[in-house]
Amino acid sequence: MGVRAPAAAPAPPKAETILDQYVEATGGRAAYKKVHNEITTGTMEFVGKGLKAALTSYKAEGGKSYNLAEIPGVGKIEQGTDGEVAWERSALQGPRIKQGEERAAALREAAFNADWRDLFKKAELAGEEDVDGTACYKVILTPNEGRPETRYYDKKTHLLVKASKIVKTAMGEIPAEIAVSEYKAVNGILSATKVRQVAIGQEFLITISSIEYNAGLPGNRFDLPDDVKALLEKSNGAGKAATSK
Amino acid sequence: MRRSPPLRLPIAVLWPVLAVLVAARAATAPALTAEQRRLNVESFDYVWSAIRDHHWDPKLGGVDWDAARNELRPKVEQAGTMTEARAAMNDMISRLHQTHFGIVPAEVYEDIGPRPGAGREESGEGTVGIDVRVIGGNALVTSVEHGSPAQAGDVHPGWQIVRIDGAALEPVLRKVAETYKNSTMQGLMLSRAVTSKLDGKAGEKVRIEFLDGQDKTVSVEIAREQPRGARVQFGYLPVRYVWIESHRLGGNIGYIRFNFFLDPARLMAAFADGVKSCADCRGMIIDLRGNPGGIGVMAMGMAGWFLDHAGQELGTMYTREAPLKFVVNPRLETFGKPLAILVDSNSASTSEIFAEGMKDLHRARIFGTRTAGAALPSVFERLPNGDGFQYAIANYISEGGKPLEGVGVTPDVEAPLSREALLAGRDPVIDAAADWLRQTKEAQ
Repeated sequence: MGVRAPAAAPAPPKAETILDQYVEATGGRAAYKKVHNEITTGTMEFVGKGLKAALTSYKAEGGKSYNLAEIPGVGKIEQGTDGEVAWERSALQGPRIKQGEERAAALREAAFNADWRDLFKKAELAGEEDVDGTACYKVILTPNEGRPETRYYDKKTHLLVKASKIVKTAMGEIPAEIAVSEYKAVNGILSATKVRQVAIGQEFLITISSIEYNAGLPGNRFDLPDDVKALLEKSNGAGKAATSK
Repeated sequence: MRRSPPLRLPIAVLWPVLAVLVAARAATAPALTAEQRRLNVESFDYVWSAIRDHHWDPKLGGVDWDAARNELRPKVEQAGTMTEARAAMNDMISRLHQTHFGIVPAEVYEDIGPRPGAGREESGEGTVGIDVRVIGGNALVTSVEHGSPAQAGDVHPGWQIVRIDGAALEPVLRKVAETYKNSTMQGLMLSRAVTSKLDGKAGEKVRIEFLDGQDKTVSVEIAREQPRGARVQFGYLPVRYVWIESHRLGGNIGYIRFNFFLDPARLMAAFADGVKSCADCRGMIIDLRGNPGGIGVMAMGMAGWFLDHAGQELGTMYTREAPLKFVVNPRLETFGKPLAILVDSNSASTSEIFAEGMKDLHRARIFGTRTAGAALPSVFERLPNGDGFQYAIANYISEGGKPLEGVGVTPDVEAPLSREALLAGRDPVIDAAADWLRQTKEAQ
């Protein structure tokens, strides 16, 4: 009598497959192609600090974005992209043009309905890991410019559960952990409505209260603010002067 | 197709938000209920864990934190009053020997804001409208606010405060001076020892005994009023009243003064107006005397009006997780003329970050006296028992490589106040800065 060898465990999927499965799980390419812009509103709580900001985010094809955070006691903090320029302005610091990795990350985040293959040059499966009781695939994505980031996808639902990344800011590099949950469907597209971020020991809880697709947006929604334009002209002028010497 | 939730890290610029000294108020001490005791123990545990987990030095400078817990937790469990419970928590915190750690009694957070329709005199927190420094062991009035109750009471700069509500100040000042004799915070704590007795509930009166300019005893009863400025609430930081003023001094010198680095939406706009309106000035004075700090990032924003090259830094804050640089973002049009910054013993935290950073970058000349040496980025939270809890989450090293905590900013030009100058209506610090601006070549 012979003993049958146990069936070999199925080979884990490739990273590309996991990422494509995420797209399908959250609505699929057909649903995405019907969406040309998005308005998201919500709040961001600085957990334990008595602060809660109102958030409004606009995104559109062509890598356009405008994000507004209104923080009591601080005022407005605005960030935007027009597909080429990434900027920020606030009462705290005035206008600023993002450069280097910070700019690349901002443009990547703003890429609307982009294929991940256009934004990341490499995706690798780095094993499996339990994330708060959920069995996940661990995928490392290397962007075209910047540091790799790690994402954890639920093995069963294919949804993104967590991400870890080093965020490049004007003040330096900040390690961040981001956990997403409470997916809700709008127009057939699933989006996480709870985002818990932890950075430098501080927890931020983002709660999305509304998502609207294909909204009528004013034509100038993604225009560069005047002071950002002026800053750009000034730096372009300085660049030309430097090259003409 | 890529679909991702809002993963962009929000508000990294806000992270080094607070660096403010808090004047804790004396609390009354009724007996505690069992629930209050339980909440106090929970609060103690939270304080202990937060410092263990978030202090930028995992070794806490060598303090045996477990031993501190073992010794002091029973005291909180057995505390019969809030005063006793807070004392045990403050005892634990004090073992770190660092600023920006403290317990804020819950009473400070009670609604002390203005009642609708109330005048300044009925609004809650009250002050008499004088600023005080202890010079040569004597509590001196260094300024009298225009339109204040003190001005109405005919109080003058240079007068010495001898008694408040019948109690002599001298023993208090002697004790505080001794307690802080080896600390850069001595001057700050001495003036606070006086102002904590002058301040109180708006509408209530305080009797102050002075020695006037002829050393004659003058006793004045003054009704406190709501402090000058806009009422500002930021997170769990106790309410502050924030003001800013700007004008020109003789000799075409710009002058800007503000009392906190808070309320950026309003303050930064007013600061910008102050700078822009002085584009033709020969120089600028920024007066940070008495400014205990606030939102750290505002220092970067203000510096941007005076530095026109990108990439310059005021300094670095070192958290446990990552260093964060105080990078200056130059404005579109900057003020390029000479800059003087005024500081004194009560300039702290963000004021020190700004002053030392601008000094290190050779962009400003510092006048006055050494600052408080209390510059640690911190946060404020509420404890389960309702008290506030401030704790530092980072160390700070200036661009020149100098820690400010326990060291302070040393002025380029030492210019102390004196009773003689105050009585004569002079401000030697402003005078020294203005003289320099009038003489320096770049200003001409």
